[in-house]
Amino acid sequence: MQPSNSNAARSASSGVRLQQWLVGLTLTVFGVAMIVPFVWMMLSAFKTEGEIKQIPPTLWPETFTFDNFHRLFTEMDFTTYLVNTLLITLFSFVGLLLNAMAGFGFAKYRFKGRDKLFLLVLATMMIPGQVTMIPVYLILNSVNLTNTMIGIVLPGFISAFGIFLFRQFMSALPDEIMEATRLDGASEYKLFLQIILPMSKPILAVQAILTFIGGWNSFLWPLIIANDEKLYTLSVGLQLLKGQHGTNYALQMAGAAFMVVPIMILFVFAQKHIIENYNISGIK
Amino acid sequence: MRKRSVSTVAAVAVFGGLLAGCSGGNDSGSGDITLSVWAMGDSSKPMEQMAADFTKENPTIKVKVQAIPWGSAHDKLLTAVASKKGPDVLQMGTTWMPEFASAGAIADLTNDIPNYPELAPDNFFKGTITSTQFDGKTVGVPWLAETRILFYRTDVLKSVGYDKAPATWDELLDASAKLTARGKDQYGIGLDPKEPTLNFMFARQNGAKLIENNKAQFEEPAFAEAVSYLDTYFKKGYAPVDLGLDTSQSFGGEGMVPMFISGPWMIKTIKDQIPDIEGKWATAVLPSKENNMSSLGGSNLTVFNYTEQKDAALKFIAFLSKPEKQLEWMKLTGELPATMKAWEDPQLSDDANMAVVGEQLKNAEPMPLVKAWDNISQNFLKTFEQIYRADADLNEQLKAFNAQSQQLLDK
Amino acid sequence: MKGTSKYAPYVFIGPTLILLTVFSLLPILVAVYISLTDMDLAGLADYSNISFVGFRNYADILSDPIFLVSLRNTLFYVIIGVPLVIVCSLAVALMINFGRNRAFKIFRVVYYLPSVTNVVAVAVVWSYLYNPGIGLFNYILTSIGFDRVPWLTEPTIAKLSLILLALWRGIGLNMIIFIAALQGISRSYYEAAQLDGASNWQQLTRITIPMLRYAIVFVSITTMIGWLQFFEEPFVMTQGGPLNGTVSASLFIYQNGFQYSHFGYAAAGSFVLFFIIIAITLLQLKLQRKQAEE
Repeated sequence: MQPSNSNAARSASSGVRLQQWLVGLTLTVFGVAMIVPFVWMMLSAFKTEGEIKQIPPTLWPETFTFDNFHRLFTEMDFTTYLVNTLLITLFSFVGLLLNAMAGFGFAKYRFKGRDKLFLLVLATMMIPGQVTMIPVYLILNSVNLTNTMIGIVLPGFISAFGIFLFRQFMSALPDEIMEATRLDGASEYKLFLQIILPMSKPILAVQAILTFIGGWNSFLWPLIIANDEKLYTLSVGLQLLKGQHGTNYALQMAGAAFMVVPIMILFVFAQKHIIENYNISGIK
Repeated sequence: MRKRSVSTVAAVAVFGGLLAGCSGGNDSGSGDITLSVWAMGDSSKPMEQMAADFTKENPTIKVKVQAIPWGSAHDKLLTAVASKKGPDVLQMGTTWMPEFASAGAIADLTNDIPNYPELAPDNFFKGTITSTQFDGKTVGVPWLAETRILFYRTDVLKSVGYDKAPATWDELLDASAKLTARGKDQYGIGLDPKEPTLNFMFARQNGAKLIENNKAQFEEPAFAEAVSYLDTYFKKGYAPVDLGLDTSQSFGGEGMVPMFISGPWMIKTIKDQIPDIEGKWATAVLPSKENNMSSLGGSNLTVFNYTEQKDAALKFIAFLSKPEKQLEWMKLTGELPATMKAWEDPQLSDDANMAVVGEQLKNAEPMPLVKAWDNISQNFLKTFEQIYRADADLNEQLKAFNAQSQQLLDK
Repeated sequence: MKGTSKYAPYVFIGPTLILLTVFSLLPILVAVYISLTDMDLAGLADYSNISFVGFRNYADILSDPIFLVSLRNTLFYVIIGVPLVIVCSLAVALMINFGRNRAFKIFRVVYYLPSVTNVVAVAVVWSYLYNPGIGLFNYILTSIGFDRVPWLTEPTIAKLSLILLALWRGIGLNMIIFIAALQGISRSYYEAAQLDGASNWQQLTRITIPMLRYAIVFVSITTMIGWLQFFEEPFVMTQGGPLNGTVSASLFIYQNGFQYSHFGYAAAGSFVLFFIIIAITLLQLKLQRKQAEE
């Protein structure tokens, strides 16, 4: 691009516009494919069971029914599940903070055994989850934490994936800013809270969303730990809808839709306020 | 969270380790006890309703019900066994009985049964009692029964000359061939090759023993013949392999698949989902070779071995075993009673389809009661897939399967 | 680093290490022990039923033909799936970031949605799409004159179908990581490059990709680990069939451990998988370090 030449600039800008259209078009085509299953799920939630099984299938519900959603709350205890799910999600944000701290510790300090410890953290990510399920259960059982909210959230606090993510991105933060803050006499903890965390906003946003989704969809563990239906989560409730013989698809779709919509709303907000137009100045 | 549930949680957390299996033993010091019940399935509501009736009769026993999703019930039971903390009363699918009985997770009730007239073995279908026996002990009480029967479209079968359901293997094969000959995309019968009991059920009808004295009998001609018989249906296209249609779709309309073998739950499904074929379908007991023994499934009620409230648990089980309670349960859930007495009630005996189920139940056996059965039957599905899908040599496959099964039995 | 308080790093990583020790390392030690025993359900109920069998489980599982098939399948998933996911999510992230119009923001939601959809719902919807008779895909194919495709009923095609499904679910997560990283690149680099007359392609290869180095390392390692543990898709869609065509190592382990209660055998299987994952990850790190040095 030659900004000095106005002719060239004009043709370049129309070229840019063409490129923009092409990219937009490509994204649209694949985007439609991405949301077809999703749209189908949402629409099916409003169909009757008979209509879902109809051949040929209908896309748009012939008769809109809220019956499926109604049944979720009358025949099942979805209100309780919702409250529990929100609680678990809330608690898991404590874990988010711990992960950020650890990521910072690994990224910006040199101390004895750092690399080995970090490898250890990484290694835990590679453990197939089923291996540790029963041992973890037995450990919690031995300290009487089964059937408690703490027992449900505690093992999920630390995510090696999260620590890894924080470390990768915090490593890229400039040391100069940290040094300058230290020269001002700030403690390491103040530095973390007031400088590092705000600078890590994009990655915190990513992590917050992941944490939320993890908490929101948590399934097998709450079921295993809870000996009381009062501690069930939405995912467990959704699993309850799956019968031994045959399945009521309409009801399942309603349950699934009910679970996805809040995440969708959250994501729309989160990405609007946090990721959009965010610009870290001063990254090396 | 409300205050009461907090205190319950706290009580369990603090005392759980001391009082194994306890769920709040002495709530208010009045001597009341609380039974904890795990029910499989989609909702705890029907069981809560039964429990409320029970507490009305026995005011000192409270019942707390927890629904366990079918898909994850096994995982959940494993952890209960590992921690020895579980419910007092536990609903258990018949196929899991041997596994959990051999692990000592469910209590031996042999000496307790005689104390409760409701639990006398004569009250129940013979096959259901079989499923409660393990190592000569009684480890459960039959609760729900189901068995496989034949569903068929009367109008479509009439069109190929069958005024009533095929009664023998030969007739079934013949009818299927004629139905398939109706045209493109037409089939005779829906047989689910992924259904783990299908082959074993047919093999038994052919006189096969499956397992005898802990020796696998899957190489015997009686077994091989049955497998080959079923294979014919898939090879000749009488039974669809990958149709991908729900039964309610293929059975309705013109009757693309006008026969299928399945359990009694399909009766309600057909009535609800394809009402337009009302009067054009019926059920029948299975066609016979040497016999027409069906496979028996369902659930038993068991007492968790680590409970300290065995008597109260049995009291509750006895309550649920009363014919009128079983009928009430059927009304709430559509699941069928294991007590024979309940089947004399007009609700069941006057219904043509239910009468068929009741008759077949008299001639139905659970799958062999060995703890490796689940594993063996899953392995067989893979073996059978090699035969009907990949056209592998039947005898070779069965030989390998037999050896593999024997290894599991010897473990 | 001068002026650093001596204890600060330990305070930062301390809570994490404690929790990891209790909920990851300790359980692993237990699992190592289990893998050397014949523990089954009876053993779980009463420890006196457990007997030590040394490395027999390892020997058995390494000669189990289905386990070997499951490892081969896993490799297939990884070789095709991992590059596909990385390239697609990077491409989508770049395209979305390239867009100037506000409408492009919508695409973030669109491409992200699949990865938040509950797996039970995913199974229901995709079973319908892949359904051989009435499924949407075959419906479309037959109505434009093509033959039906055995999406889930032919071993190799079934593997590819599951990869497609996993790709659909996997793009979103990596995409937002890439977008977050892209947002972190200062505009000044591009402004400078544009002044020097660099083309879009040059800006991409000279600025964007190198600046995304950390993100790419991160995404490729986590994606690789995730795909080596490929589990949910075959679990909900095929249960490993047809003809063991889609069974993955993780699924095999799960079935043996939790369906058949062969805990010792399953634990041995998971350590085999664990070592494979470690080996591949270390190799990957080494390659990337080498590349960074060049």
